[in-house]
Formats: sequence, C-alpha cells, structure tokens
Amino acid sequence: MSGTVYERDLEVVQRLKPEPMTDLEKEIQSKIEDVDFEIFVHKMNMIALEGKETTMKLGASTGMRWGDVAFAIYTAQGDLAVVATGIWFHAVLGQIPVKYIIKHWLNEPTVGVKEGDSFFFNDPFYCGVHGADMGLCVPVFHKSRLACFIGAVVHTGENGSREPGGLPIGSKSKYDEGLLVPPMKIGENYALKEDILAMFSNMNRDPRTMILDIKARLAASRIAQRRITDFIQQKGYEFFVGALRRILQVSSEAAHQRVNLLNDGVYRQPRFIDVAGDEEGLVKIGITLIKKGDRIKLTFEDTSPMIPDKPINTYFQGIIGLAMVYFCGWFMHDLPANNGLLDVLDWEFPPNSIINAQGETPTAMAPGVQVCFAHGMFLCGARMTYHLDPLRAVASWYQGFGVPYFGGINQWGDPIADLTPELNATGCGARPDMDGVNCAGSFFATMSDCSDVETTELDRPFVYLFRNYFKNSYGHGKFRGGAGVGFSLMIHHMPFLALGSLGGGSRFPATMGTFGGYAVPTVFIQTVQGSNMKDILAASNPSIPVNLDQVYDEHNQEQGIKSFFNIAMPLTFLFGGDTFYAPTGGGAGYGDALERDPHAILKDLHEGMVAPWAAHNIYKIVYDEDTLRLDEEQTQEARDAARAERKKNGKSYTEFEQEWMKLKPSPAALRFYGPYPHPSRPGGM
Amino acid sequence: MTKRVRITEYLEIDLKTEQWCCQRCSTPLIGARENYKKGCIVAERPLQEVHPPLNKGQIYSFCPDPDYCRLIEFYCPNCGVMIENEYLPPGHPITHEIELDIDSLKLRYGATDDGNR
Repeated sequence: MSGTVYERDLEVVQRLKPEPMTDLEKEIQSKIEDVDFEIFVHKMNMIALEGKETTMKLGASTGMRWGDVAFAIYTAQGDLAVVATGIWFHAVLGQIPVKYIIKHWLNEPTVGVKEGDSFFFNDPFYCGVHGADMGLCVPVFHKSRLACFIGAVVHTGENGSREPGGLPIGSKSKYDEGLLVPPMKIGENYALKEDILAMFSNMNRDPRTMILDIKARLAASRIAQRRITDFIQQKGYEFFVGALRRILQVSSEAAHQRVNLLNDGVYRQPRFIDVAGDEEGLVKIGITLIKKGDRIKLTFEDTSPMIPDKPINTYFQGIIGLAMVYFCGWFMHDLPANNGLLDVLDWEFPPNSIINAQGETPTAMAPGVQVCFAHGMFLCGARMTYHLDPLRAVASWYQGFGVPYFGGINQWGDPIADLTPELNATGCGARPDMDGVNCAGSFFATMSDCSDVETTELDRPFVYLFRNYFKNSYGHGKFRGGAGVGFSLMIHHMPFLALGSLGGGSRFPATMGTFGGYAVPTVFIQTVQGSNMKDILAASNPSIPVNLDQVYDEHNQEQGIKSFFNIAMPLTFLFGGDTFYAPTGGGAGYGDALERDPHAILKDLHEGMVAPWAAHNIYKIVYDEDTLRLDEEQTQEARDAARAERKKNGKSYTEFEQEWMKLKPSPAALRFYGPYPHPSRPGGM
Repeated sequence: MTKRVRITEYLEIDLKTEQWCCQRCSTPLIGARENYKKGCIVAERPLQEVHPPLNKGQIYSFCPDPDYCRLIEFYCPNCGVMIENEYLPPGHPITHEIELDIDSLKLRYGATDDGNR
C-alpha cells in the first residue's frame, strides 16, 4: 500500500490540467477522420446529457431534482473530456477524485478498480467545494482494458455536519463538517455494498435522500456505460480513447487562440466578504489577472489570512473550479467544456490564506469564498473582453449565495435536511445591449431550476406565502440587472423546523456593477415568531403582504416578534405559524443609470419592476404618475442637472484620495481581515 | 491621424497620444500607462441615494453598512458621464483595475509611432 493514503494527497489535487498524452493516444490521432470525430463528439455529448437528465429524474435532493448536476465522461487518466451541466465547477473538480482513484486504488490489491465497481466521494479537499457535494463514478472497461470513467457530482444537501444542510456556518474545524469521504469503493460486481450504505445512513440526518441520490448517480452512470461500451464495440477501443483525448487537445488549442485575441495587461479586482461564518467581519481576496500572449495567470498576493476556527476558507482547488465557471459559461461558452481549457491558465495561491486552506481548518462556507472570487472573474473579464466582443462584457449574476437551509421532520414523518431551491432563482447581470433576465437561475448552475412552490411544499413542512420578483433586488444602470425573487415561508403542518441561511452580502454588497452600473442591494433575513399570519389568512384579509416590498411597508399588519438576521443566519428554531422572509439577489447593473432609455424605465414602472423612487432619484426621469407619459424635455433637464452636479461636487483624484485614505473600518469590522488595507503586508501598508 | 481603441463602455485609448479618453465626448483623461481613474472627477456617493433603506431603523435594511462599504463614483470631467464606480471599505486604496501593456496594444493594432497603420 502506498504511504500517502493515510494523509491528504497534496500532489493529485494539483493535477487539474490534462495529463500527458499516452503512447496509444498519440498513435491513434492520425487515424481519426474529422467526420468520425464530429460524430463521436456529438454521441458523447448526448450520452452525457442523457446521464444528467436521468440523474435529475431519479434523485431526491433539491440540488439533484432541480439540475445542480454535472454528469461527465473522464478519460482513463481521469481528465474531464465531456460533460453535461451548467455547474461547471463540479465537472472540473470531479476529475480530482477520479485521478485519486487511478493513482491509489487501481493497483492496490485490497481495493482495485474492476468492471462493475462504483466509487463515492465527498471530501471537499478532493471535490473542492463542501461536504454536501457528493460524487460517484464508475470505470468503463472493454475486454479488461480501462477505457474511461463516468460519473456524476451533485449537491445532495445533507452530510451530517453540525448543522443540517451540509453548510455549517458555525463550524470551528473540519470535524464539525460531517461525513467527509475521500474516494472510496462502495460497490462491486454491479451491486452497492449495503454495509457501506448503512454506515452513510447512520451519519446523515436525511438518509433517504442521500441513498436515493447515490442510486440515481449510479443508475445514470450504468446507462451511460452501456451506451459507451456499445460505441466501443462498433468503433474500437483505440478510436474511443484517441478521440476522447482529441477533445482535450482541440479545446486546448482553441482556448489558446481565444486568449491570444485579448489585450495584454494586468487586471485587478479586490473582493470583500462581510461575514466569516456565524460572526460578521470583512475579509479580502486580492485578485490579479495577468494576461500575456495566449496565457492567463491568476495571483492572489493581497488576500486575508486563513481563519483557523471560522468556515470562510476554501481549498485552492475550489477557486480553480469557479474560474472554470467563468471560462465555460461566459468567456469560452462556445468551446467544448473540459479541462483542456485550463491549459491556458496558471495560478499561484499564497499559503495559509482564506483561498488556500490547510490542515484542520473548517471550509463549510467555501462556496461563499469561491463565488466571491468568481465575481472578480466577471469584473476582470468584462474589462478584458469588451474590446474583443462587447457582448461578452456582461455584468455579474448574483454572487451572494443566499441559501436558506433547514432540518427537521416533514409532514409525512420523514426526517429531512436540505436547502430551499431559490438559490437557482437569481437574476442575470445586465448586458451591454439589454437588461438582465429576471429570475434566470444561478450563475454557477445555469441549467438549474428553482422548482415550483407546490412541488417543494409536497414534502417540506412549510408553505410559501408568496414567491415573486423583488424589484429592490437588482443593480440599476444603463441596463439593469435581472430581478431576483423575494419569498416567504410559513412553518406548516409540523410543530417546528430548524432554519438557517448561508451566504454573504448583508453589510457589503455581494455583487458589483460593471462600467458604472450599480451593485445589487444588500440582503438579509427576517423571521416573525408568534406571527398572526394564520389569523390574517383565516380572515381572508386583503392586506396580507404578497411581495417583499409589502412586508417592509408600514401598512403590513403582520404582528409578532420580528427579528432581522444576517443572510448568514445561524440555525434557529421556528414553530408552526412562524414566518421567514428572504430575498434572492438579482443581477448587477451595467453602465451609467443616467443613460437608461426613459421608456424602458416607464415599462418597468408599468410592470412593477422598478420603484417610482428609483425612477425619480436614480434614473432622473420626469413623467406623469397617472398616465406614465414621459416629459422628455424635463427629463433631459433633470439629467443634465445631475451631470452638472456630479462635476460640481466631485474632486480631483488627488484631492479625493487625500481625504479618503484617512478613513478606516471599525476594529470590529476588521477582526478577521488581517492588516488593513493590505492583509498580506506587515502593518497593512 | 488619430487611432483610438475602445476598451470599455466609456473608455478608449488614443494610440497616438497614449491617452485614456472618454468614449462619449473624446476628452483626454490621463496617460494610457496611468490609472484612468486619476483623470476622472471623483466623488463619494451617499449609499442611501442609490440603495434606499426599506427597513428603516433596523440593523439590516437593503442599504450597505458605511462601516463596511462606501461607494465611489468616477466621472468624465467634461461631460459628467459616470465612467465607473467602485464599492470599497472606507479608506481602502482605489483599484488600478486596468493596466494595459501599451506597447503590445500598439503592436496589436498596427499603430506606428505616429499612430497610423
């Protein structure tokens, strides 16, 4: 047995780029006809898509049912070759466990890798994100020769951590974060090992969901395995492995060509998170993106130090996974998504920083760190790509990762623990040519859905009082961000439920605008304990709030103990009839709001998608409030006056900077930050 | 002959003079090897003017906390268009976000020393 398997494998997690080409792969390249290759790629994509759809239809968790699924085909060396997903980071990070299996178990006599085996993994050190993200893969053989691996990585929503939902914001070490399994064989001879499933069930609040999800991944993988073995029968083993490898090669070449089209330079973006877990405080990720020739390098010199007892840390692998979200979903959305794209990327991570966690440090809020970084990719990316193709310079989708999580017993008597699906209902960022799409999805899982409320209510002990567009959820601009949703839950049918929320952006906006567009507003949670909402409903009282604006309206008649929480809300018990209110962020704005087409604002007013306050005070339009008729002359005057006021009130950069640099956040806000303002420098200066 | 390259919605670079320019009114801002923000008019915008607090008087209100975050806006000194804005913790250095390799840019666009192809 290798001596490295009892400790973390620091080498295999570095191998995110394609492995060297094997002799067989090299030899076969000249024999693959272009037409055959195109047909092959299409077939593999269809097999992966079928796998994704099958996984979704068979699974039980919120993430699996609504599409947070990465279904992939990996080469025999573990490289990601073909994937069906919008959740790109799971796809690229899913190759680390496969490479781990090949490295450690393929030739290990007590484990081995054989036809009919299945492997499970959810340790974020190898999967990159957090313990609730679980994966399964199977090897595919042809006449005893390993041809590829197939697998699915999906957020299952519960792994027995100290808080339900797999995202414990109160985590103080990795030992608070539940079941964390490095790649492990859980099935042989086409059968899952029941003793292992029994162990998993024993370590999980929602065993029914976890086991169903494992079986869904496996069933979908077996269908894909059958399709691939059929293909190999027809076209031959050599063609299959060679063509799979060629996908990486052509993707890599195309990625280099794409990067080469960009202007050389250095692009920087500091990013800030305002919560470190169950306590508030700023931390910083200093992003520097250096583009030269056909390569991009990411460095992070000016980043806050790792926090040993707070979960706002991530392994570096997760950052690369999120870089791939931007690459696959935006910058190179028209290229095949696989790790060949990573050939253009180099990276350096400072040790012991919040983006390069070590040791027993908790990482349960790693998704929050990762999406914070990803937002920097959007901002740097817009500046880097505008000259090439303005339509790629989009403002960011919501990056706050505001996700309510819960645990308890549902109305059918089953234990449950999961997330609500509204993380898949955020707004698109605005574009250079149009507003962002309302309630578009999640930037990191663009093919996902947020479920319909009735389906969610079927096995959850709450009802939705409303869920609809929230007009205060997006960033304003020449083009506005798409709206997110506001929603309300009321505990129903059961005496109580434990609820909390994961995310950031209650003090510092999580999502900035682009080229003068404004940020998405800050967000928070409200609960009402001892609410009279059931009485209001029973009386058919027409004043019941039907959207989040009305919740905060002075005419709202709901009574009870109202509490306001950071969007990273510690687990709280709510009882039957108590209510819970949350916004899901919209998209960021693009461009100067004074350039917004007044008729687009009037349309938004008509549809209830912008507040009259914003029309007057941000967009500076003048109109008849009864008829919504624009006064063009007065609007022009108001906008000219606003521009003149900017020039009058503004200062020169030097003058402004002299005053600005005297400011500093309070010590409480900087308790996790490290030296201010530059956390990597002694004394911060 | 002037040769200008569009860099963002509101910024372009004049390759002949090596100046950042406002794309809307063509006003030169500052040298292209500098941070373009140094050529702008700068103002801190009160947060509540952009993010109205809907939940007045409470700990959270849809408006950022000024202890954590401030909003800085950068305007063209001639036409007043907002070229960019930046949300930063108070006193955090303003970001030099675009630092282009001007020599490489001139080569890419075939600009000779006098700005022509």
